[in-house]
Amino acid sequence: MSSDAPAATIDHHFDPTTSTGIPNKKILMWAFLASDCMFFGCLISTHLIYRLHPPPGTLAPRQVFSIELTSFSTFILLMSSLMMALAVNAIQKGNLKSMRWSLLTTIFFGCIFLGCQVYEFRNFVFEKHLTITNSILGSTFFTLTGTHGLHVLVGVIWLTGMLLYSFTGRLTERQAIDVESMGLYWHFVDIVWIVIFTAVYLLEYI
Amino acid sequence: MRFPNPPTRPGRWALAAAALAGSCLLSGCFWLDGPQSTFDPNGPVARAQLDLFYVTCWVTLAIFVLVGSTLAYAMIRFRARSDADTHAEPPEQHHGNPLVEVSLIAASVFSLVIIAIPTLKGVWFSYDVPEAERAGAYEVTATGYQWWFKFDYPNEAAQTTDAATGKPASAHLTTGNELVIPAGRAVHVSLRTVDVIHSFWVPKLAGKVDMVPNRGNSLWIKADNPGYFWGQCAEYCGESHAVMRFRVIALGPREFNDWLNSQMAPARSVPAAASTGAAIPKAQFVAYREFRRNEAGYTDRFDVSPLEAWRRQQVPNSGEDPALIAKGRELFGAKTCSSCHTIRGVDGAVGVQGPELTHVGARTTIAGGLLENNRDELHRWIHAPNEVKPGNKMWVNGYLLNNIRLTPADEDALIAFLESLK
Amino acid sequence: MEAIAKSDFVPKGEQAAKPLVLWRPMAKAGVLSWLTTVDHKRIGFLYGISGLFFLLVGGVEALLIRVQLAVPNNTFLTSAQYSEMFTMHGTTMIFLVVMPIGAAFFNFVMPLQIGARDVAFPRLNAFSFWTFLVGAIIVNLGWFMKAGAPDAGWVGYTPLTTRTFTPTHAIDMWVMGLQLLGVASIAAALNFIVTIINLRAPGMTMMRLPVFTWMTLFTSFLIILSFPAITIALIELMMDRLFGTNFFEVSNGGLPILWQHLFWIFGHPEVYILILPAMGIISEILPTFSRKPLFGYPIVVFSGASIGLLGFGVWSHHMFTSGLGTVATAAFALMTMAIAVPTGVKIFNWIGTLWGGHLSMRTPMMFALGFLWMFMIGGFSGVMHAAAPADLQQHGSYFIVAHFHYVLIGGSLFALLAGIQYWFPLMFGRRVSEFWGKMSFWLVFIGFNATFFPMHFLGLEGMPRRTYTYDGNMGWNLGNLISSVGAFILAAGVGVYLVTIVYTYFRGARTTRDPWDARTLEWSLQNPVPEYNFRAIPTVHARDGWWYEKRHSAEIEREAGEHAKAEDAHGGIHMPFQSIYPFLASVGILVGAIGTAVVDRADPALYPGFWGPKIAVTLAGGAIMFVSVVLWSLEGCEGYHIHLNDDGSVKGDDARGGYAAGH
Repeated sequence: MSSDAPAATIDHHFDPTTSTGIPNKKILMWAFLASDCMFFGCLISTHLIYRLHPPPGTLAPRQVFSIELTSFSTFILLMSSLMMALAVNAIQKGNLKSMRWSLLTTIFFGCIFLGCQVYEFRNFVFEKHLTITNSILGSTFFTLTGTHGLHVLVGVIWLTGMLLYSFTGRLTERQAIDVESMGLYWHFVDIVWIVIFTAVYLLEYI
Repeated sequence: MRFPNPPTRPGRWALAAAALAGSCLLSGCFWLDGPQSTFDPNGPVARAQLDLFYVTCWVTLAIFVLVGSTLAYAMIRFRARSDADTHAEPPEQHHGNPLVEVSLIAASVFSLVIIAIPTLKGVWFSYDVPEAERAGAYEVTATGYQWWFKFDYPNEAAQTTDAATGKPASAHLTTGNELVIPAGRAVHVSLRTVDVIHSFWVPKLAGKVDMVPNRGNSLWIKADNPGYFWGQCAEYCGESHAVMRFRVIALGPREFNDWLNSQMAPARSVPAAASTGAAIPKAQFVAYREFRRNEAGYTDRFDVSPLEAWRRQQVPNSGEDPALIAKGRELFGAKTCSSCHTIRGVDGAVGVQGPELTHVGARTTIAGGLLENNRDELHRWIHAPNEVKPGNKMWVNGYLLNNIRLTPADEDALIAFLESLK
Repeated sequence: MEAIAKSDFVPKGEQAAKPLVLWRPMAKAGVLSWLTTVDHKRIGFLYGISGLFFLLVGGVEALLIRVQLAVPNNTFLTSAQYSEMFTMHGTTMIFLVVMPIGAAFFNFVMPLQIGARDVAFPRLNAFSFWTFLVGAIIVNLGWFMKAGAPDAGWVGYTPLTTRTFTPTHAIDMWVMGLQLLGVASIAAALNFIVTIINLRAPGMTMMRLPVFTWMTLFTSFLIILSFPAITIALIELMMDRLFGTNFFEVSNGGLPILWQHLFWIFGHPEVYILILPAMGIISEILPTFSRKPLFGYPIVVFSGASIGLLGFGVWSHHMFTSGLGTVATAAFALMTMAIAVPTGVKIFNWIGTLWGGHLSMRTPMMFALGFLWMFMIGGFSGVMHAAAPADLQQHGSYFIVAHFHYVLIGGSLFALLAGIQYWFPLMFGRRVSEFWGKMSFWLVFIGFNATFFPMHFLGLEGMPRRTYTYDGNMGWNLGNLISSVGAFILAAGVGVYLVTIVYTYFRGARTTRDPWDARTLEWSLQNPVPEYNFRAIPTVHARDGWWYEKRHSAEIEREAGEHAKAEDAHGGIHMPFQSIYPFLASVGILVGAIGTAVVDRADPALYPGFWGPKIAVTLAGGAIMFVSVVLWSLEGCEGYHIHLNDDGSVKGDDARGGYAAGH
C-alpha cells in the first residue's frame, strides 16, 4: 500500500500543520531525551563518585570487568544503530519490506546486546562475587548498566511492536515519524552506552 | 492609604487588625536575648555571622524602602478613583525603557557586591580556626547519636582500668551532652555521627555545621568569657529531634583545669566508713514528683544563673547514703545499665551505646541536655524514658532495654548512685 | 494561510484505514466522560479541583502543627504525629497543591493564549493527570495504614530514610508516590513544551507569546531537566530499601551527602517550578488591571529564562551547613546572589507596568499587589540566606521557615489565588463577588503575615524547625502564639475564598465576554469556553493579541470569517477522540505502586523463592499498564470533525463524533 502513496509530496522533515514545521512527535522525543540525559547523567555521576571514593576493601573494577566481551557488545549495539537508521530511511521511502528486515536486524542485535549483558551479570555475580548488595561498586554498577539494559529492553519491545504493527498494513510512509522517533530513542540509548562504556569500563584501562 | 471604591469595609477591618498585630509584634517579638538568640553573640564566629546578617539586613532594608515606597506611590497615585476613571481611554501603551532597566540592573548588582564582599570574608573566617590561633586551639570531637551528643577530648588522658588485665590504664576523656571548653581560646570541634545526620548548633557561639555520616566535618568556636550556652541539634534526626539538646560550658583557665583534673579521675566512690548505722536504705519512701509529658525539665532557680548551677553541681551532695549508693552501683551492673554506659572505675561498665556516666552527677543536665540533673528528673528519666524522649534506645517495646524491671527501691538506689558520681 | 487548520486532517479523497480499536468512549457527560476526557480545559479543571482539595488537607496539617506549637511544652500531638504532619504538610503543599494548581492553569489557559484547540498530545495529558492522582493517593495512603504517614521531612534525608532507621512502609510510600508525581510532571511538561513550540496560531511568534505562556515553557523545561535528579535519588533509595543495595548504606561506604546533592539539584529548580508560573500569572494580571502593556516584556522574559538557568547552579545553598568547603560555599553564595538580579528585574518591571496606568483594584489585582509586597520580603530574606556565614545561623531554623513561606504563600499561592479569580469568568462564565473576594484577600493577607512574620524572629532567636515541642524559657512563646493565631486567620481567609468560589460556581453573577478588558488571546473567547475553543484559529498581529483585535475589529472579523470557511472546507473543526486507556494505564500504575510500596515482603516460609504477593501485585499492575499502553497506541491519535451553527453550538450529528480522520 505504500507504493500507492504519492511519495514525492511527503517531506519528512517538514510538517505544515505545526508552527515550526517540525513534527510534534519529534520535538516530544527530543525533549524526552533531554530529560533522559539528566537521568543517566545522575546515574553515571553516582557511579563515578563512588568509583572515586571507594570504601576500603572494594574489589578493583579491573578484576571484575571483561573488556573484550563488553567491547564486542558495544560494537553490536553500534551496528544496531546503523540498522535502525536504515529502517528509518526505508520507511521514509515507503519501502516496507526493507524496513522490516532492518528492524528485524536491529532487534536481533539488541537481543545479542541484552544476552551479553545477562551473561556478564551472571558472570560477575557467580564467578567474580560482585553482587548488588555486597559492595557499593556492585550497587552502582548493576543499577547503572541495568537501567541502561532496561532502556534497551524497552527499545526491543517497541521495535518488535512496530515490526508486528507493520504487518497490519497500517504503517505507511505517512507514519514514518513514528519509526523515526523510535529511531531517535534507539540512537540515544546507543550513545548513552558509549558514554557508559567509556566512563565505566574504558577509563579503567587508560 | 485608601482603598478601591466599591466596598471599603474589608479594607478598614484589615487596617485595624494590621495595626493590632503590628503593635503586638513590636512589643513582643523584639525580645531577642533568649538563651539561643543569635543576637547575643559570645564569640568571634557568632559575632562575625551577626555582623554579616546586619549588613544583609540594612542593604535589603534600604532597597525595600526605596522599591516599596515607589510601589506604594504607584499604587496610590495611579489608582482608578472613579467609575469614569475605569472606563476612560486607556493610558499611553508604552512598552518599557531600556535605560531605566539597565540602570536598575546595575544598581542591584552594586548592592549585591556590598553583601558579597563581607560574605566571602566570612566564609573563610567561619570555616576554620584563624592561622594565628591554630597552634593554640583546643581540640574536641563531638559525635551525634539518636538523640544525644558525645564529646571526646582526644588529648586528655583519663584514668581507667584495662578490661582484660584489670590494671590501671588510660583512655582519652569522654563526656556526654555537656561540652566544657576553655574560655578565650579557640576550640576546634570535629563533628562525627554514628547514625543519621545531626547538626551541632550553639547559636551564641557559632552557626551550625552538620554531622554527616562518612564525612569529616568540623567547626570552630571561641567563647569570649566564661559562660553557659544552650545548644540544640538542628537537623531533623528522627522522633526525638526536638529534645536533642546539649550545653556548652566555657570556663576560665584555672577552673577549666580543675574540671579536667576531676574528670580524669575514675568514678567517685562513697566510703562506707562514713555511713555507720545506716544499713537500711531509708529512701524507699521518697515520693518523686509526677511529670506530664513534654513538661519543662528544669526549675526556675536553675534558670536564673545556669553557670552558678553548674558550679554548685560540682560539689557532692550532703547527706549521701553510702549503703544506698553501693546498692545502686551493684544494680548498675545487675540491671545491665553497664552494657550501654561506661563508668570508669566500675567493673564491667564499658558500654558505648549510651552516654559516658563517670561524672554524670557533676553535670547540670541529663537526657541529652533536656532535664535538670536532680532527683525528681532522674527518676522521671529512668522510670519512663519514653515519656521524655519518644523512641529512645533505652526503652524498647514498652520497657527498659533487655526487659529489665526496676522496683521503686531499685530506682532509689540507682538515683542515689548516679547523683554521687561527681 | 497554509497553517490555519492545525488538525491532522486527511486530504480529500484519501481513505483513512479503519482504526484498530476495541472501544471508543463517546460520553459527553457523566463520570465516564470525565475518566475518558482529553479536553485540556476539563483536565485543567481536574488538576485545579485536586489542588484545592489538597490545599485543604495540607492546611489542616498546618493548623495541627500550629496548635501543637501555640504554647510551650504542649502535648496536643505526639512527636511521631508531629513528624507526620510536617512531612506531609511540606510534601502536600509543594507537590499536591502548588504544582497541580499551576498545572491547572498551564492546561486551561496556555493553549487558549497561543490560539490552539488543545495540547499537542491530549491523551498523554490525561495520563499525566491520572498518574498525578495516583501519586497523590500513594503518598497519602499511610494515613489509613498501620505504618503511618511518611515522617522523615519532605527532603527525606538519608540515612534517616533508609531501612535501618525507618523500617516501616511509610517511607516506601513516600518514595513511590514522589516517583509517580515526577513521572506525571515530566509527561505533562513534555506536552506543554511541544504545545508551545508547535501549536501557536499563525502570527504568534515566540516574542509575542503572553508572559504566562513563556513561564509555562520555562517551568516545563525546568521540570524535564530537574525531575530526573530526584527520580534517580528515589530509585537509589528504593533499591536500598527493597533490594539492600548500598547507595546510602553508611557501613558499606555509602555517602548520605550524595542524596542531598541529588535532591537539591532537583529541589532548587523545583523552587522555580513553583514560582515561575506565579510570576507569569502576575505578569498577566498587572497589565490587564493597569490597562497598559507589560513594562519591558523582553527583559521579563529573559529574566525568567536566566532565573531558570541559574536555578541549576545554586542547589548547594541548601547545604551550606553540610561542610562543602570554602571554595564551593563561596561559589554557591555568589551564584545565589546573582539570581537575585533577574528576580529583582521582574519586580522593577512590574512596578514599571503599574506606573502611569489606570489601576483598577479588583480582587485579582489585590492578590497580585499582595504578591508583589510579600514576594519582595521573601526575596530579601533569600538574599540574607545567600550570605553563607549568616546562613549558618539561619539554616534549619524558623527563619528559613519564614523565608520560604513568604515566597511560597506570599509568592506562589497569592498568585494562584489571583489567577483563579482572574480566569474564573473565562472558565465558568461567572464572576466572584468583589466584597467577598476582597474580604478573603485581607484575611489571607493579614493572617499570612501574622503567621509568618514572627517566625523570622523565632528563627534568629534560635528556634530550630521540625521540633514538636519547646521550652518556655527560650523567648519563643509570644512569637509562636501570634503565629498560631495568625494561622487560623489565614485559614479563615482561605475558607472564605473557597466558599466564595464554590458559591460563585453555582450561583454567581454571569459575566459577558472579556469582563476585565484584558489583553491576551484567551479573552477573545466567549465564556465559558466551548469545547472547541476557537471557532476559527485566530491570526495574531501583535504582542497583546486581543487588545489589538479589539481595536481592529473589522479587519479581524473579515479574517476570522475567511479562516472559518477555509477550515470548514477542510472538513470542519478537528476534535480528538476520548480515550479510556490513559486512565487504565494509571490504574495499572496504582496497582503496581501498591505492590511495590505497600504490600509486605513475602514470608519465605509461605512463599519459597521469588514469588509472593508483593511480586504478584506489582506484576499485575505492570501488566495492566502494559496492556493499556499497547491498546492506547493501537487506538491511534485520531479524531472527528465538528461543524458549528452560527451561535457557536455544535451541529446535531457531529456531537456524537464519527470516524472522520486518521493519521
